[in-house]
Amino acid sequence: NINNLSSLSNVARPTRILVLLNMVEPDELKDQEEYEDIMEDVSDECGKFGAIKTIIIPRPDGDKEVPGLGKIFIEYESVDDAIKAQSSLGGRKFANRTVVTSWMDVEQFNNRIFS
Amino acid sequence: ADGARKKRKRSRWAAETTAVLPAQQATLPPGLTPKQQKVFYLHVQIEEITQRLRTGNLGIPSDPRDRSPSPEPVYNQRGQRLNTREFRTRKKLEEQRHKLIVEAREVDPAYKAPADYRPPEIKIED
Repeated sequence: NINNLSSLSNVARPTRILVLLNMVEPDELKDQEEYEDIMEDVSDECGKFGAIKTIIIPRPDGDKEVPGLGKIFIEYESVDDAIKAQSSLGGRKFANRTVVTSWMDVEQFNNRIFS
Repeated sequence: ADGARKKRKRSRWAAETTAVLPAQQATLPPGLTPKQQKVFYLHVQIEEITQRLRTGNLGIPSDPRDRSPSPEPVYNQRGQRLNTREFRTRKKLEEQRHKLIVEAREVDPAYKAPADYRPPEIKIED
């Protein structure tokens, strides 16, 4: 059940997986150069708070429905660094939008179950 | 295209290192439907602008190179400049907030706008 999955993956308690929302529009990610540019901005800033293992920015794929499109997933090595990042980035401006954050269940992330 | 290349590369992150809005208020509660998430984003953006207008922290870049070019100055009869950067920035924020409030009302008819919100027809000049 899709609905159950989406509520499971977004958890209330901090984890190593920080999700950044309301930062990118699918259209902006179509262009390879713009995608790389966004990736660079995100990794530069998020890297200030601690070691990052993975950054995933889902990209549009034709008409296909892409899970997690419009969200940015940051996997930190430690929960503490993820918390530091959250308290600094949540509510900040990125490309004139206000960054919203949430936490993702680590197992869901490892299985790449985005919603 | 060549001119755009030469432009200094700017990060999409706002120049300020601290958020106007406390991170707690920008944390998505679990278990929302996609529609509820959209409403939440709108509320966060409206609240962010509201706090900027209220505190006067308008987000004007401290480095003049990061600012947009100024229009021709407009003065009143006493020689005071009317279209200052602060005035223009406030106006822009009010307009942005208005758009977001209209959107929030469309998605959620029960939405209540911030107390200091005035629709744009009312001019605040002088």
